[in-house]
Amino acid sequence: MTGALELDGLATAYDGFSFGPLDLRVDEEVLTVLGPSGSGKTTLLSLVAGLVVPDRGSVTLKGRSLVGRPLESRRVGLVFQDGALFPHMTARENVAYAAEADERVADLAATLEIEGVLDRRPAALSGGERRRVALARTLAADPDALLLDEPLTSLDEPVRRRLRTELADLFADLGVPVVHVTHDQRVATALGDRVAVLRDGAIAQVGTPADVLRRPATPFVAEFTGSDNVFEATVVASDGEVETDGDGARLRVGDLTLDVTATAPAGTTVTACLRPSRLRVAAPAAADGGPNAVAGTVTRWANEGDEYRLVVAVNGADLEFVASVRPDRVESLSLSAGADVSLAVPPDHVHLIT
Amino acid sequence: MHRTESRTERPVGGRDWLSVAFLLGAVLLVYYLVPLLSLFVAQPPGAVLERLTAPEVLAAVRTSLTGALASTALAALFGVPLAYWLARTDGRLTTVVSAVVVLPLVVPPIVGGMVLLTVVGPNTPVGDLAGAAGIPLTRSLAGVVLAQTFVASPFVVITGRAAIEGVDEGLEHASRSLGKGRLATFRRVTLPLAWPGILAGITLTFSRALGEFGATVMLAYYPRTMPVEIWVSFTTLGLDAAFPVAVVLVCVAVATIVVLNDLGRRPLG
Repeated sequence: MTGALELDGLATAYDGFSFGPLDLRVDEEVLTVLGPSGSGKTTLLSLVAGLVVPDRGSVTLKGRSLVGRPLESRRVGLVFQDGALFPHMTARENVAYAAEADERVADLAATLEIEGVLDRRPAALSGGERRRVALARTLAADPDALLLDEPLTSLDEPVRRRLRTELADLFADLGVPVVHVTHDQRVATALGDRVAVLRDGAIAQVGTPADVLRRPATPFVAEFTGSDNVFEATVVASDGEVETDGDGARLRVGDLTLDVTATAPAGTTVTACLRPSRLRVAAPAAADGGPNAVAGTVTRWANEGDEYRLVVAVNGADLEFVASVRPDRVESLSLSAGADVSLAVPPDHVHLIT
Repeated sequence: MHRTESRTERPVGGRDWLSVAFLLGAVLLVYYLVPLLSLFVAQPPGAVLERLTAPEVLAAVRTSLTGALASTALAALFGVPLAYWLARTDGRLTTVVSAVVVLPLVVPPIVGGMVLLTVVGPNTPVGDLAGAAGIPLTRSLAGVVLAQTFVASPFVVITGRAAIEGVDEGLEHASRSLGKGRLATFRRVTLPLAWPGILAGITLTFSRALGEFGATVMLAYYPRTMPVEIWVSFTTLGLDAAFPVAVVLVCVAVATIVVLNDLGRRPLG
């Protein structure tokens, strides 16, 4: 018997919000549910944990049906966003609440590095410590599935980065289905074996992080996962007439013509997506090189730490591209607002949604 | 912690609202304390001690304390579960039940006593049955307890409900998702967190039971509780004879509040 968590036709509706029907199977892996607020992420967790009763459908864990079972007999561990630690107990008492033996508490405290704070009350813990204690408390009950609601939200950046790495290691060894929900694309792709993108109570796409990032199934998924260049395009030619090796399509985006390796039937309208990091930004002198070279002007730019984000208006066309550029490149090209640049759209990185 | 906040608050327009609030409240405090103090000052200690050792006064103290303890225990036993149910349930039934709970508070106690007589009094099926079993429900300690419970128990339900509603339901969900049932969750999470509020309700119930007169005098003129003894002393011997018993009642009431307050400072469990 597998330890999989299976949702089949699961649906509920309340306060004008309708969720599902939704089918999802989570094996002994980490599934990230990514979606904006109001997309039904928390409802999904609540349905599995037993806080919300579904109108239809089934939830099965390790072959046992969970619908109709009370929370306490589901063996589903739920880590709440705020931790929901018992304020009248110390961290140790919280972890020991559902633990079978003291050794288990000691083991988990060591794994989650909370040994030094075990005798503190939750009010005296930092945000990161609280998440660690909450996770230890849930794991102490040896759940058959682990659900986490925004485990990394509203933590300081260094704490968040460290915890993210630790969680990835921890989940890999757990051997039970792990579902964690987040609205943050960076967390989703760093922490999940698979990502399910949720919108309006329905799954827009499920796949590996690389798959979802490179080949978004809908314009919504593209925009929500950071493909900031999303254009409506017309396929004017396909295959042999296109200046790419092998198959390909020639696109008309506004006044611009782009050749890409992705294929689509000529005459159709598609959505073209391109991640900002895939755009190559060069000095205007280099404008002669390669296919899909576009001359433009930097209209806005923002320093985001490890990268700069540039908004480039295409000269002579009502079109803007978003590009992310490494700081050394910004310096060598002397980029700033108003600078003339040449953009190269790599033919093999444009994804078409047909 | 609220005090530090108020310190940083600037008086607006030269007038500090906090001071005004205290002055207004002080009028009420004086109104509470002055009559109580004058009661003590007006009574020579000798007279109080003399009345205190009188057998009928000692008996009244015993009846009042036993009755109030028993009715408070009953109120807590049945009232705390009701408070929990009310706090964690929504719907029309909840609204109806909350209205029923305040009924004994809005009905004048003497009317409450009359209503109780129609159920447990002599020549009623319940009253006769209990009487035949050797537990008369009127003119007995049982009658005192019944009267006090009717009038005083709503306090523990109402205060307890507010205290339980103040406990984040997410904590109960967390406990249950860790495999603990509703009862274990109530015992280990909800009750300890709501305890100060529930204890406040218990204190109010006990104080109200100790001072109960209207319903008690209808159900159990004998054995006399302190309020009934005060009434009897007043009507037969005059106000001066009633005052020392009143001092005793006030002392007993204050002492219990001090004890219960001290219990509330200690964490439960």
